[in-house]
Amino acid sequence: MRYSGLTMKDDGRLHPMTVAIREIANIFGRMGFGIAYGPELEDEWYNFSALNVPADHPARDMQDTFWIKDKNNHVLRTHTTSVTIRCLEQMAKEGIEHMRMIAPSKVFRNEATDMTHEAQFYQLDGFAVGKTGEVTLAHLKGTFDQFYREYLGENAKVRFRPSYFPFTEPSVEIDVWYEPKGKEGRWLEMSGAGMLHPNVLKNAGLDPEKYAGFAFGGGLERLIMVKHGVTDVRMFHSGDVRFVHSFEETSA
Amino acid sequence: MKVSRTWLQRFFDTELPSAEEIADALTFHVFEIEEMEAHGDDSILDVKVLPDRAAYGLSHRGVAYELGAILNMPLKSDPLRSELPENSSTNELQVQIENPDKCLRYMGALVRGVKVAPSPAWLKEALEAVGQRSINNVVDATNFVMLNIGQPLHAFDANKLQKKDNRYSITIRGAYEGEKITTLSGDEYTLVEDTLVIADANADTAIGIAGVKGGKAAEIASETTDIILESANFDGTSVRRASQALKLWTDASLRFQNRPSSELAAYGMRDVVALIQEIAGGELIGVIDEYPAQGYTQNPTVQISLDDINKRLGSSYGIEDVTGVFNRLGFSYTQNGESFAITAPSERRDIVIPEDLSEEIGRILGYDQIPPTPLPPVAGMPEQARYRGIERIKDALIERGFTELSTQSFAKEGDVYLANPLDTTRPALRSSLADNMREALTRGVTVAPRVLGPATALKLFDLGMVFAKNGEHLSLSIGYMPLSGKKQSILEEAADALRDLVPSITFTASENVMEANLDEVDIVTLGADYTPAPVRLGAFRPYSIYPFALRDIAVWTPAGTEEFEVEESIVKEAGELLARIDLFDRFEKKDDNGDVTRISYAFRLVFESSERTLSDEDLNPIMERVSAALNARDGWEVR
Repeated sequence: MRYSGLTMKDDGRLHPMTVAIREIANIFGRMGFGIAYGPELEDEWYNFSALNVPADHPARDMQDTFWIKDKNNHVLRTHTTSVTIRCLEQMAKEGIEHMRMIAPSKVFRNEATDMTHEAQFYQLDGFAVGKTGEVTLAHLKGTFDQFYREYLGENAKVRFRPSYFPFTEPSVEIDVWYEPKGKEGRWLEMSGAGMLHPNVLKNAGLDPEKYAGFAFGGGLERLIMVKHGVTDVRMFHSGDVRFVHSFEETSA
Repeated sequence: MKVSRTWLQRFFDTELPSAEEIADALTFHVFEIEEMEAHGDDSILDVKVLPDRAAYGLSHRGVAYELGAILNMPLKSDPLRSELPENSSTNELQVQIENPDKCLRYMGALVRGVKVAPSPAWLKEALEAVGQRSINNVVDATNFVMLNIGQPLHAFDANKLQKKDNRYSITIRGAYEGEKITTLSGDEYTLVEDTLVIADANADTAIGIAGVKGGKAAEIASETTDIILESANFDGTSVRRASQALKLWTDASLRFQNRPSSELAAYGMRDVVALIQEIAGGELIGVIDEYPAQGYTQNPTVQISLDDINKRLGSSYGIEDVTGVFNRLGFSYTQNGESFAITAPSERRDIVIPEDLSEEIGRILGYDQIPPTPLPPVAGMPEQARYRGIERIKDALIERGFTELSTQSFAKEGDVYLANPLDTTRPALRSSLADNMREALTRGVTVAPRVLGPATALKLFDLGMVFAKNGEHLSLSIGYMPLSGKKQSILEEAADALRDLVPSITFTASENVMEANLDEVDIVTLGADYTPAPVRLGAFRPYSIYPFALRDIAVWTPAGTEEFEVEESIVKEAGELLARIDLFDRFEKKDDNGDVTRISYAFRLVFESSERTLSDEDLNPIMERVSAALNARDGWEVR
């Protein structure tokens, strides 16, 4: 698109991450999900231990972690699942019986960066918890089926593959079938998910005999990259004004 | 782990399906396949075994077991279900475990009279197919059995150990402070005190790092005749700490840190002794089995009902569906109506709670069987007020022409530092957004003609967490740089607009930037009744990493000529390198009667290449073509 004319509006632009989160908040909002926040600098309990990732467990290797200097047992959160555990604690404390939340926020991983890896990126984490039997793995599938159809288009569909995360049991990878207009469709690995592990509920103070629910988490940049054809994840948080102005923008 | 289809076939009488079908079966029922490649007639699958299944899955037998369950194709013989021999003991070997909490079991076997030689072709090929180097028949046998059933094994040259009272003596003990060992690879390591070592007790020297790597001192060589075979079980935490301390990860340590069953050691010993005798000869003198953890490491019995399973999966499976899965996985169970008490075989360390069983049912029957089900609607509005409050602030700034940025959380300096920074030039966490904003403004000015065209000001904002000594908070920074004309009070006006929205917001000003702590204002109330403006984005249009170039062109046109006509004429001739075109001046010439006779249009052209920096040699011919095209039109004249 080219601009022309002295009359051009002095146009401000939202960052594509904000635009995506607005759309996502809308879709999940209609499915009853609120939006939760938590600290980026977490202690080991909320990032690992409460999520059933004990010290000296090989599962710790699944996420390369930034540790804080001179502050024992503190990390930059490696996932926003730390927000989930805080919400579950709130459920236990306040006697709330149902909760659905998403936490679309920044997380950190100590990994070499390239076109598809950044040491800081956004994650879309979330959960739905209710009385045992009210929220099942089938609901996880239904939720993502709807989310992707609304966000990526009517042709989108999801499939699960078995996986492992210490904080869910069963654990699955969510793949989405994405068919961009005029292009061939393909399966994309989008999110990890599963039914919350009873130890996680217990650690938050909930009775795992009475409550159950699903949780999920996946990179947000990747979703935006797929949808809009962004080629390099490092552009997102580069502070480069060119990136924000590189999308055609229309009001919805 | 690299898995060979030919190797897997050893476990089955019936011909396995193609490598692609095997990969699909594993992918959708148990393991991710990272890569698949041909190796002669064989196919090699790189199977990603995650920590929960690593106790049994890091082996060809483990993968074959899964494949058998998934395809409902029984194994012709399962090494972990066949009988163990009654080994005779020997007085010629003694084993003492000083740390029974770290060494759960230690089996040592003395084999005399082996002939060390190159491995037979089948063994060489089997190992090389999965990326292992063949060394000699004895060492290869230990590796083969490990890759076959998952039990790490080691062979020591007995003649390199000291004998006392006609007896070898092995001790499993903590390393001495500063104790050194040279491993098989020839590297010397200084051990830390809680690292467990295998020691020749008679010589009081370490001959191996327990569960990690063997020592050079007792290496198998061509002249070796008598060997001591080790099949042990070391505590996962202890091995993991040793590997971390030494930065030495091996096939053995990767297996031990995932806590394989201590029962497996006996199967490993049986198989390695048999294989060595087959390919290197020798006589088994005896086996010592020190097993402090005997009986402690049995798998639990797990109770579950059909209803528990269906309530977790959202499925409607029947009794036969689930008993079928239990049978295929070799789980033993007792059934009482629709309830089960289940014990998994010893190598399946991952079946501990009922939820583990739900996963087994879900994945073996296939997650494609799980029906997508919408969540039931909930009453009331979901809690999004804080989010909406934040978005309200963003929308207020967008309305005033500000563009939102996102910047790095890492900084050159700050109040909080990382213990292990990735970028050592940015070892701290940002304590403010101001530096990032100034950097963005400086860079923004250089690209403004490309991005903003004739805009007179660069106006940016950034919203994110900053980290002070007393904790983190959400910060907002707004930045401004004039692009042409005089400096205006744009930041102050924006701050005033935000103060109208939230009176308690407090800004601190620094050069070109104002910043506010949003955790000090009531964002939740701000967002209570707000709906963020929906926006849609189109496709991303990449920008070049190479600098752009500017060219201006002005042209006289006859009265009545529209701007778009001129623009179209220019765009048509300017070609692919034109990235942007903006009108920056227009004026009319009138005659004495005040009628317009001619109109001048002046455009700024931005050129850019995704492959290189553009030069005059690129641009001059383009501009000549554009001028010629404009001049060729009746009444048009490039100025």
